[in-house]
Formats: sequence, C-alpha cells, structure tokens
Amino acid sequence: MNRQPRALLSVLLLGALAFTGWLVYRDVQPPPVGPTAPVAPAAPVRGGTVTSSLRSEPRSFNRIAARDFPNDLCSLLTLGKLVRLDRARQTIEPWLAEKWDTSADGRTFTLTLREGLAWSDGVPFTSADVLFTFQAIYDPRVSSIIESALRIDGKPLAVAAPDARTVVVTYPAPFAPGIELLDNVTVMPKHKLQAALDAGTFAQAWSAATPPGDMVSIGPFVLARYEPGQRLVFDRNPHYWRKDAAGVGLPYLDHLVFEIVPDQNAELVRLQSGAIDMLQQQIRPEDIATLRPMVDQKKLQLLELGVSTDPDAFFFNLRPEQWAKDPRRAWLPRKEFRQAISHAIDREAFANTVFLGAAVPIWGPISPGNQHWFSPNVKRYPHSLDKARELLKSIGLENRDADEWLEDAAGTEARFTLVTYRGNSSLERSSFVLRDELKKVGINVDVQLLEQGALIERMLTGKFESIFFLFSNSSLDPALNSDFWLSSGSAHIWNIGQKTPATDWEREIDRLMGQMSSSGDLEARKQVFNEVQQVMAENVPALFFVAQRLYMGVSTRVGSLSPSFLRPQLLWSADTISVHP
Amino acid sequence: MARYLLRRLGFALLLVFVVSSASLILTRLAPGDFTMEQGTTIDAAARAKMRAELGLDRSIGAQYLSWLGGVVRLDFGRSLLYSRPVNALIGERALNTALLATVSLLIATLVGIPLGVYSGSHRGGAGRSIIRVASVIGLSVPPLIGSLAFVLLAARTGWFPVGGMNSAAGATMSWAAWLADVAHHLPMPALALALPMAATLERLQSQATEDALREPFVAASRARGVTELQALIRHAVPTSLRPVLGLYGVMIGGLFSGSFIVEVVTSWPGLGRLMFEALRARDLYLVAGCAATGAIFLAAGTLIADALLALTDPRVSLEGRR
Repeated sequence: MNRQPRALLSVLLLGALAFTGWLVYRDVQPPPVGPTAPVAPAAPVRGGTVTSSLRSEPRSFNRIAARDFPNDLCSLLTLGKLVRLDRARQTIEPWLAEKWDTSADGRTFTLTLREGLAWSDGVPFTSADVLFTFQAIYDPRVSSIIESALRIDGKPLAVAAPDARTVVVTYPAPFAPGIELLDNVTVMPKHKLQAALDAGTFAQAWSAATPPGDMVSIGPFVLARYEPGQRLVFDRNPHYWRKDAAGVGLPYLDHLVFEIVPDQNAELVRLQSGAIDMLQQQIRPEDIATLRPMVDQKKLQLLELGVSTDPDAFFFNLRPEQWAKDPRRAWLPRKEFRQAISHAIDREAFANTVFLGAAVPIWGPISPGNQHWFSPNVKRYPHSLDKARELLKSIGLENRDADEWLEDAAGTEARFTLVTYRGNSSLERSSFVLRDELKKVGINVDVQLLEQGALIERMLTGKFESIFFLFSNSSLDPALNSDFWLSSGSAHIWNIGQKTPATDWEREIDRLMGQMSSSGDLEARKQVFNEVQQVMAENVPALFFVAQRLYMGVSTRVGSLSPSFLRPQLLWSADTISVHP
Repeated sequence: MARYLLRRLGFALLLVFVVSSASLILTRLAPGDFTMEQGTTIDAAARAKMRAELGLDRSIGAQYLSWLGGVVRLDFGRSLLYSRPVNALIGERALNTALLATVSLLIATLVGIPLGVYSGSHRGGAGRSIIRVASVIGLSVPPLIGSLAFVLLAARTGWFPVGGMNSAAGATMSWAAWLADVAHHLPMPALALALPMAATLERLQSQATEDALREPFVAASRARGVTELQALIRHAVPTSLRPVLGLYGVMIGGLFSGSFIVEVVTSWPGLGRLMFEALRARDLYLVAGCAATGAIFLAAGTLIADALLALTDPRVSLEGRR
C-alpha cells in the first residue's frame, strides 16, 4: 500500500472516530445544575393517541388465572374492581361500587354497584358478575393466582348478591385491611365466561390467542388489536361510566398503543426519538443524564415519583440445617455478624455508587415511600468500621495471620458466597459494592451471578449462603404482605415456610402481625407494626441499604398525569390522561 | 437425485429430532423450572399443585416420552408460558424470522461476494484496504452493538423506523401499502444481521479469489489471450465460489441464532425473541419447538448450499455427494 491512500484512510478513520466521539459526548454532558422548569399544565382535551413501550407481552388476558405485568396492565385498562387503590394518594376509593357499608364487627361489607354500568358490548354489569368472579377464583379447577390472597385464616370470603346492584362480602375472621382486600379482585364478565367455567376451561379462557372481539371491557379502553410480538392497540370504550368534573366522558384518549420493545436501551432510544411517549419502566439513574437535554428542550418531562417501596434485600440463609455441620456455624448465622455488616456499609456511598445518588439510605424493608407504615425510629446502624470490627471481634473473628481477612479461633476464614441475579445491573453493582465494603473489615465475599430461575430455585430450596435480590410488595399495607413477615410465609426469605417459628424473635413477629392484622384501629395497628419493625431491625434477618428514587420519562405532549411509584406508575389512571394538541 | 433428496430429508429429520430432544432435556435438567416464574408469591403447596397440573412433577423420562408421542404427530406440546399450542406460537413468528433471514442473506451475498472478488483480485490499492478494514470492523462488532448502532442511527436520522416490523396503522393498510411498510422496517434489522455475514463472505471470497487466480488453468487462459477481467469472471470466480458456498449451510443455520439478539434489540417479532422468553421462563416445550425450527433452518440451508454448489461447480454432482 503506498503512503497517500494510507494517509487518506487514517484521516477518514480519525474523522469517523471524532464524529462518533462527538455524538457520544453530546449525549452524556452533565446535567445543568438546578431543577428543570416544570411543563405548564394544560386543560385536558378529548382525543389523540398515546404510545408507550412494553418490555414483554401478555401471556394471557385472564387476570384471575395468570399474573404478569402486561396482563395486570391490560386488566387495569379494560376491566374493573369494586373498589380500587388510589395509587397517588395511597387511599381506597369507590370504583364499580359507588359506596359500601361496613358491619359493626368490621367483617361484612355491603357494596352498592353504580347504576347503569354496562360492559363494552352493551350487556348490563350486575352483581351476578361479581358473584361469578368469586366462584371462578375459588374453583379448584381454575387454580387462580389470587385465590390464596383472598383467604383469611385459610378460609374463603363469603359473597352474596341479594339484588342486581348489591353485593355482600363477609370475611371469615376480622381482617384489618378491610375493604382494601377487594382491590385484588378484578371482576370478569359472566356472560362471556360462564360456559368456560362450567366446562372446566376457565384457566385457558381469554388466552393471548383469543380474538379481541371475543373479549369485553368495563374499563376505559377496549382491546382493539393484538399483534403478537409487536403491539397492543386499545380504543376508547364507548360504554365507560366515568366522567370528569365538567361532565366530559372519560377517557380523554381515543387510542392507547403499546409497542413491544424487549430491550431497555432500544426503548430509551425510542423515547428520545419521539417514537413513543412513555415507558412502563422507571428511568435508570445512568440514563437520566442522557435524557436531560430533552428535558431542557421541553420535549420530555422527567417525573420524580418518590422513593421506591421495593428496596433490594440482602439476606443470609438462616435455616438451622444450613449451618449445622458448617465450620462457620459459630458466627455466620449470628445477628452480630449481620449487624457488623450493616455498620460496615456506607449507605450514602452505596447510593452514590450504585444509583448515582438517586437513592436514600434505609434500615428496614419499609422505605419512606410507604408514607403510612414507615417508621423513622427503627434502630439504625451508622457507618462505622470500628463498630463493625468490634462486633466481629465479639463473635471471635479477628485477623490472626498475615493476610487481610479475619479468621475465627479455629482458623476458618470470614468468608461467604453471595448469589445475585445476572442481568440486573443495579443488583450486580450492589453486590460488588458490598464485597468491596466488607473487604475493608476483613470479610471475604465471593459474588456469584445466576439467572433468575436458578436463583429462585436456590432460594426456595435453601441451597445458598446469602442472596442479594429484589422483591415487589404486592401492597402497601403490611398485613397484605404477611407472607414476608410471618415465619410460615412463602416470602419469609431467610427461612421460608417454617412449621413453627425457628427463633423467639420470629415467634414475637408472628404474634405482633396477628395482632396488627386483626385490629380495626389504624393508629393502634401502626403502633404494633412499629414494634415489628423494631424487632426486625434488632435481628436484621435481611439487610436493606438504600431505596431508589424513581423517575419516569414522559413526552411533554402527554398531560393530566397522576404519577405514582406503584406500577403501572402512569397508566393506573389512564382514563384521565390526555394529550396536548 | 431422488435418492439424494431422500437422504437429505432423512438427515434433516434426524437433525430436528436430536436438536429438539437435546433442548428439551437440557432445559429440563437446568436448575429451576417454570414455577420459578411465580417467585415467592405462592407457597410450597400451591407450587406443588402447579407442578402436578403442568406435568412437571413427572420423571424426565416420562416427560420426554410423552412429548415424543406428540412430536410423532407433529404436535410440539403446549407452551407453559402462553397456555397455547407451541405450533401456533411458532407459526406466528417463523415467517417473520424467515423473511428477516432471507433478506439478510441476500444483502450479505450481494455485498460480501462482489467485494470479496474485488479485494481478492486487486493487490494493493486503497479500495482493497478500505474493504479489508470495513470487513474487520464488521467481523469484530457483535450483533448486539451493531443492532444498537442501527437503532441509534434510525432514531437520529429518521431514515428508518426505530424498530418493529410494521407501523401501528399496518393492520388497516392495503396489501401493497403493508408490504411497502414492512420493506421500510426491514433494512435496520436486516443490515444489523447482514453486515457481519457480509464481512465473513468478503474475507472468504477474497482469499478464494486470490487462490483461484493462481491456479494453472487461469494462467493458461491468460496465455490464450483472455483478458484479466474475463479470466476472473469466467474461470476464477466460479472456482472460488465453491468454498464460500460450502459455508452457506452453516451460515443459514447461524442466522437463526444470530437473529436472536437482533430481534430483541430491533423489536422484530421473530422466533429469536420467542425462544429468549421461553428459555428465561423454562418453558421447555416452547424451547424445544423453537430449537426444532432452528434445526429446520439449518437443514434447509445445507440443502440450498449443496444445490448452489452443484449449479456453480461442474465437478460436483448431487448424486455423488455423501
């Protein structure tokens, strides 16, 4: 090759590299200091289309038989509940039932359905639909995914329909969350699904292959089209019952489109290009800087939703059999070991490293995002390496040789394996930060990355030493998440499904949760639950370091939003969303 | 010819059987099962009930034999994830993957082979160097990065849609408009898939052309007064195509696995994405069905490559191939 073309080639390559560099630089410039100007609200206008991305597609449209996020989202758009949780205000509000009366013992609720409700095919909505829904939920052939959540002390709710507009629900025992339990029940149309229930095929009914025309809606939208692998298109339900304050029929939007975009990066590019108006996922902290220029250009709103109520948890296997023959049994399952770890972690630095500052320190599973149940007074473990070393020494762990790791009197090294979920960047980062922080006090952590199914299998079968994982609370009221708190619970992650409590403090939590779940006095319940949090904080069966601040990116053409940190953060009230002309 | 086709068909069936069986057994043996999808939201009793209902509590042998009984009737079972027949799910997506794969292969061939012939027949010169550099880049860039780069390019320039196979209005379009719409969506995923293949073809074709040009029969043709261009086109290129075409079968099979990540990033509704979901959820019947379809792609690719080889090289006969 002679010199001239080689020089020309080099110049071309350098030029291409410089251009690419400039493109990248333009995207990652640091965000300007100070808050961005809020987008001026505009009066809602009827009409228009909002397009969102969706990572995965529904496996079924049957909310009673299957549970996944797209299914939940579709049912929120097309179906309804008797009462629903206002996710922005964290209160229960009337929905298909316009009012209810509670009996003196707090166990019976008499609900009155709204007048004139109809499914999208014009068939009237009556109490028979509600009765049918409960029959389907409790039918053993259906194996409903929500059946266990609708049992109190293992017994089903009794449901009666004295007339077309009245439903009477009786709980088998006092249950403190009361009517909130019914937020779990999505009402299904009897006239469309009775035949399937009779034939024992209800669980297969309304599958992802069901033609949209065969399904009906009582929500703000009807499913107009489902193109597998591509998109879901929803049209306004002309029979929807709700009106705004000015008497305008809701929803405002004509159409709602979900484009299936499985890749998170591609999803972000689509948002940047304006191909979609919103995501169904929060914005990752590392992407905020990328979106900031669009916010400055008023093309995008970056909504801060508050602090997540689902913080990531780090926990050890506390099943006694796990450590019975292990040389580390004298110190690894002890609470002092976990307390030392809690002291060793600099939560501020953790928030900065893992979430780029978009997180707040926490000391228990209830984050400040859960406004009603969060207690600021639970025991804290301030960052102190000295305190951590002191606690470790109290259980016999000292550096007894020339290396950097602690050992017990028998020479066993202070070392354990941490398993986490491969592919979740924040969990992977968290695990490596934890490893690095614990190295400072002489604890050696081996991080092992596993795909989700394998990790859950290990967790359920107890074949692990420690796990860093994420959990979603199904509800804000702890009584509705009792499977985490109770020693017999399926989400009692450090020792799942105990026949009898393995420790005194778990027995105490069981007792307090029983008290808290049956009391009718909200303030008294909160006091009891504060005690539960104290016991948890003292024994630290699971460690919580930070709770993420949640952000959503939405096109500025979309308005009248009521954001919530609970999923779906924006579309939980899709009927009031509008687009600016 | 008939014997040859029968033999190839037998080979294809064996390939489909082995690949799908292996996929089912490996997915079954991997830690965790479909019930792990429920996480900690169900208790041990509910999980056991779910396993029994889905037949996951049976021994691996019983499960495999029952699945095999269905496969004999061309029934790949029912997807655990979607509660639908695997055949129906695959039917929805296989054509999309086939379209993407065909267009990608066409682009790779139309770009890679001519560039390979050019670079193989031009010693020195800037053109050859630029092609080489581009090929090395094409070979080094993983499909994930390539796809993301194309998505970014589409977003920045607006030349192509940023993803998907057609527009939201596609369902209401006339056939002609729908085809034009699909054609507008195709370049981005097709290029992401085609460029690494084009680079491979270019490198192979370049070397094969150089080798062919050194063959005595090409030198003899030059001595007979045939021009350099004629010697290249009439003698060197047909000879050089043989090793390249030999690679086609493998390449077509590889298209299926290569399209896996491209489909995810560019939101192309193909089999790759379906298999990705199936693997993640341990939906063993869907995994086996997708793997069988991939094996069919591979078998078809090998057959096409053999046929092309026979057409381009007179020394090869289908009857003689074993």
